[in-house]
This record gives sequence, structure tokens and C-alpha cells, in this order.
Amino acid sequence: MIAENLIVDRGVSAGDSWITVAGESAHEALSGLKEAGYQLLVFLTCVDHLADSSRHGGGAPRYELVYQLRNMDTLEQLRVRAFVDGDPPHVESVSDLFPPANWDERETYDMFGIVFENHPDLTRILMPDDWVGHPLRRDYPVGGEVVEFSEEHETWQTAPDKA
Amino acid sequence: MADGPGQGVTDTDTTVIGQGVTVTRTGETGAFGGELLTINFGPHHPSTHGVLRLIVDLDGEQVKRIKPVIGYLHTGIEKQAEALRWQQAVVVTDRHDYLSPPINNLAYALAVERLMGVDVPPRAKVLRVIMSELTRLASHLVWLGTSGIELGASTMLMYCFRERDSILDMNEEISGYRMHTSYIRPGGVMADATPRFLDMLDKFIGVMPGHVDEYEDLLTMNPIWRSRTMGIGRLPAQDAKVLGASGPMLRGSGVAWDLRKQMPYSGYEDYEFEVATSDLCDCYGRYLVRIKEMRESVKILRQALDRLPDGPVNVDDRKMLPPPREELETSMEAVIHHFKLFTEGYSVPPGDVYQAVESGRGENGCYVVSDGTHKPRRVKFRAASFVNLQPLERMAMNHMIADMVAIIGTADTVLGDVDR
Amino acid sequence: MGQNILTTTLGKLIGWGRGNSVWPLQFGLACCAIEMIHTATASVDIARFGSEAMRASPRQSDMMIVSGRVSQKMAPILRTIYDQMPEPKWVISMGACASTGGVFNNYALLQGVDKIVPVDVYIPGCPPRPEDLLNALMILQERIKAQGITPRQ
Repeated sequence: MIAENLIVDRGVSAGDSWITVAGESAHEALSGLKEAGYQLLVFLTCVDHLADSSRHGGGAPRYELVYQLRNMDTLEQLRVRAFVDGDPPHVESVSDLFPPANWDERETYDMFGIVFENHPDLTRILMPDDWVGHPLRRDYPVGGEVVEFSEEHETWQTAPDKA
Repeated sequence: MADGPGQGVTDTDTTVIGQGVTVTRTGETGAFGGELLTINFGPHHPSTHGVLRLIVDLDGEQVKRIKPVIGYLHTGIEKQAEALRWQQAVVVTDRHDYLSPPINNLAYALAVERLMGVDVPPRAKVLRVIMSELTRLASHLVWLGTSGIELGASTMLMYCFRERDSILDMNEEISGYRMHTSYIRPGGVMADATPRFLDMLDKFIGVMPGHVDEYEDLLTMNPIWRSRTMGIGRLPAQDAKVLGASGPMLRGSGVAWDLRKQMPYSGYEDYEFEVATSDLCDCYGRYLVRIKEMRESVKILRQALDRLPDGPVNVDDRKMLPPPREELETSMEAVIHHFKLFTEGYSVPPGDVYQAVESGRGENGCYVVSDGTHKPRRVKFRAASFVNLQPLERMAMNHMIADMVAIIGTADTVLGDVDR
Repeated sequence: MGQNILTTTLGKLIGWGRGNSVWPLQFGLACCAIEMIHTATASVDIARFGSEAMRASPRQSDMMIVSGRVSQKMAPILRTIYDQMPEPKWVISMGACASTGGVFNNYALLQGVDKIVPVDVYIPGCPPRPEDLLNALMILQERIKAQGITPRQ
């Protein structure tokens, strides 16, 4: 089972149980959980909390990595959250533990810029290879064409100052 | 056709994908004693079910290495959903897995409802099940029709799309749209079922099993179909589980995992149906699984239609759904609710939730993060096709290039889902 | 000489021939592609308008039906395929995403395929009905028949 000292926080949100671990110990935590029976990584993604720190209680790291694990025998699910920061943030890859994480991590790198160490092939997967910028970050504008006469006229083209 | 390790051949080269899943190529230098030929399969190709690009290394006709390149349909749906309000974001959920829009809507609606803490009335639950099963049928019909025509059975396209037209007519009757219905929304459904819809559904349930029999007559014992799909694209159960496959990819390898049974939602625990599995682990097994699923869907539709209760179809919460138009003439409060909902939209309490549903392809899920405002902080769509595309190399290794078409077809990937 | 002789102009004859045998290039990208397949099936049947042969190769087709959203990665490929088609060629932009970017006004999509190829007929809808595609084909046919010998400008 996962060592208790790795868990920073835990809780339940709308029926889903989650735990928070430190960014550096994400790989160790997931390895322990995998041995405990959570054999399936349902998805892995990232949430960008650019201006808001209420979810971590103040002065928070910007990126929250989310791993959803499932135990197919007992039908239990657990969400593991790891907060990381940096420019770009570095985290150890879990694709050696869970093969589906391979493409999920490439997508997270493409969309958020998080560098996964020891990933076999960390390249852009959805955007063209020469694209500059990481689109799903909150300070990346939505883009597209300006819509005349709309409330959000300016915000389509400029980055929002409060995310 | 050689398949996987241990065929008694020398000069093998094995790659470990991870966790005990290996891919073995027989002979790196090949029968022609030379290099491998690298070809480009797609993205503009009639048989790749969308804009999928595969860079394939061939030794003569045998596939030795596959590198899928995706992203040709990346639409920025997740970013778009962050720029829309909660009730508007339903519209973009239709369009990622575009063969099963109501099922995507359902994942999003259930996630938002869990965060809001509301439960929809029983009639809405049954209507949601009806739309989901109709969509599952429509999705499998597209798969069967296009797989058929790619492997040469062009009659299948005509027959399957004829049935699909009936389903789309029903969609149009109930929601006004043929494909992207946005019918299932947080708080309930868009509109009640009309008597004509229920009539059409009744007739459809009567004739559909006969049509499925027709498809089976054409394909199941057909020697050409069998020789093109049996033994092709083997994915053993353990590999399927490790690689995270879901849906018919997993059930076609004998693993009885169906979210409608294991983690039921929207009242699925009350319906009697079997989970279709096959121990064959190849393309033919997955074909049998999908045919069986079509029959089971008709069974569920029959039960749902019989037990459709009366009552409202939307949750009675004025902070979430607008009041009926007649009330606007008499009640000030109704006007204020209407105004707030259509200008700012409702706010969802902060939190995050993941809701998975079983689509025609597998586990389609919606992970929603709310920060308490009227727009989502993050909406992530867990795409069944994204994960189901990763075993492609394992399934196609050492097969002929012509089998690639059968294998891509059996994975039943929708590129909108893969790329979002 | 009787009723067995027709007189016409060469232009009208060529226009009639071209218009009644427009072979589409199936460029199915997303959801609109499914409705395009519906147009090719029995109940709607684009074949009776001459578009029986939906070619996969641009070298053998006259008309490109761009059905679906065009992403940034796909755009150069679409232009390459358009360039590979021999003259005279036409483009139908099917659906809201191909015409203007549709529901998705963001970084990932080309806001309309007319940013990279010239379009002859736009079809609104998300997705448009199969009959809408037939209507567009008929409009295009009128235009082709009116053009005569020289291809469109």
C-alpha cells in the first residue's frame, strides 16, 4: 500500500475519493498504488490554476497533475493529485508503470508544457511539430477570429489577465 | 501469417511496450535481404476511418513497425469548453466522438449533476437510456457498414445506413437534429418524447432484430469475411488490460467488463441484458461482440420503452434550468431567473469529478473541474479511441499490409475522439 | 433531315457533360463525412446525379467536398491534395466548420477552408442534411453547365 507519509492531503469530491501527493513522489505513490491493486490508469491530465490558489490553500504551485486510477477487481477508483511548478515543470513519467500513460503524457506535454522525465518519446502529439506555445495553459488565448459585437470581443484575442 | 512471439523463427527482434506486453518482429532484414520500405498510410485515405496517419515500415508485404501520427483533427474542444458557460459546453461535447453524441452529452451531464448535487427525474433517466442505446446502435451500424465496404462487402454499407437513417429520423423527431442532438443536458433532457417518437421507436424495435439477422446471414459464416478477420489483429486479454483498452476491444478478448454493469449510471442497474464477450481475441471475435451488443441494445430499448414512467423530464430547479415561458408573464422571479441563466448562466460549486460512461467504443469519460464560477475551469474528455489506438502496433505486427485495413476497422476509432 | 439531329453549341455540350459527371474526392474529415456517406447510400443516392465514383485519389476527381473541420496540422495536406487535382476542379465546403470554423472559434482550427482553397459552394449546417449536399451539388452543376468550355475563373 502507499506509504502514509507520501500523502499530503485527502478528501472526497462529489463521490470521488482523492489524495494529494508531492510532485516529486508521484511516481513512487503510483507505483505503490499499482501494487495495491489499482492496475488501470484511466487517464492522466493536468489542470492549470494560474491565478487561483484556493484549491491548495494559498501560494500554490500552478499545475495540478491528475491521475485517475482504478482497481478493476474491487471497482474502487482513486484520484491522485500532484502539484508541480516550474518553467517548465518536471515530473517523472509513469509510462513504465502504466503503458496507456505514454500518449497521455505526450498530450499533457503538448498542451501544458510539462516535461516528463524518462518518457520514451516526448514530442508533440496533437499540434504540429513546430507549434510554439502550449495551448491549454490559462494564459494562452483561445484564438480564432474576433467575433464582432460580442461581450468577449477583446478577450478572444488577448490573454486574460485573470485566469 | 506469423503472429507474435514463439513461432519457431530465428532472427527475431522484440520490443517491450511495457508491463509484459511485447511486440516481436520476425526478421529485421527481411526476405529481400535489404531495407524496410517506409510508407505513409494516410491521413487522407479512404480506409483509415478518419484522418489517421500511420508511418508503416514494410518488409515486402509484412508490417514491421507502425508509428501512428495523430492530431490531424485536433479541434481544441477542451479549450473551447473553458471559454463557454456550463450549459453552452454541452454543444461541444457532441462533437468529439461524433458517432455517439448523446453518450458524450450524458457523461458531461452526469458529471455536472454530481457536482451540483441534483438528481434527474425517473422519466429523464429512462429517456437518457433510450437515446444512449439508440446511439450505440447507430455507432455500431456505421462501424459495420464501413468495415464491410472496406473489406469488400459493399452491400453492408447500404443496409446499415438504411437502419441508421431510421435512427437519425428518430433523433430528429425528438430533438430536431439528426446527429449532434445535444439532447441530454445537465438537469435533464432537452424536451419530452413526442407520441410520434414513441411510435417510431416501437416500430423500430420490432424490425431491428430481423435486420441484425440479415447482417449475420451475410457475414458471419461468409468464408471471405472469416478468412479476412479470423486470426487477424490478435490482442490477448492480458495485453488488452495492461494497455488500457476498453469496450469491444476488451470484451472481444474475453474480459467481461462493461461500465453499464460494473459501474452503472442513469438507471442501468434496473435493466436486464448480457455483456457480450468473445474468447477469440481477433477481429472476428470483436465483430461477434458488436453484433451481440446490437441485439442487447434492442432488448434494453424494449425494456426502457415498456417502463417509461410519466412525469417531468427536467429537474425542478430554477437556478439551473429556465422557467417555462408562460411564467414569464406573471412572475417577476421567473424573469430574474431567466435573465440570469441566459446572460451569466448557473454556477457550479467548486470541486472536481470524473464520470465514465460506456460508449460504442469503450470508456468515454468526462473529468470536470469547477472553481465555482459560471464557466468550467477544466473539462477533460477521456477518449476511448485515444487509448484503443495504442494497441495497434501489438495487433498489426507481422501481418500483411492489406490486413491493416481490417485491424484499423476493428479498433473502431473515431479520430474526433482521439484528437479532440 | 428530321428529328434525329440535335444542334447545340460545343460549350453547352461540354458543360452538360462535365456537369452531369462530377466525380467527388472524398475528403471526409469529421462528422460531416458521415452525412456525406449517407448521401452516397441508397435513400439519398448521389449516384443518380452523376457522382457515382467517389474517388479516393485526387488525380481522378473533379470536385473536393471538404466535409469537416480543418485543423492546423491538416491544412497543408488539404492544400497539397487540392493542388494534385487536375483542372477543372471545384470545391464544396460542407458544413459550418469547413465554411467558417463553425462552433469552434479557437487556435486549433482553420476558420474556414476558404482561407487556403477557393470554394464554389458553401453548405451551412452542423452537420447539413444529406439533401443539403445534393442541393449544393445541383447548384454547382448549374454553374458548371453555364461555364461552357473554359473552366471557371
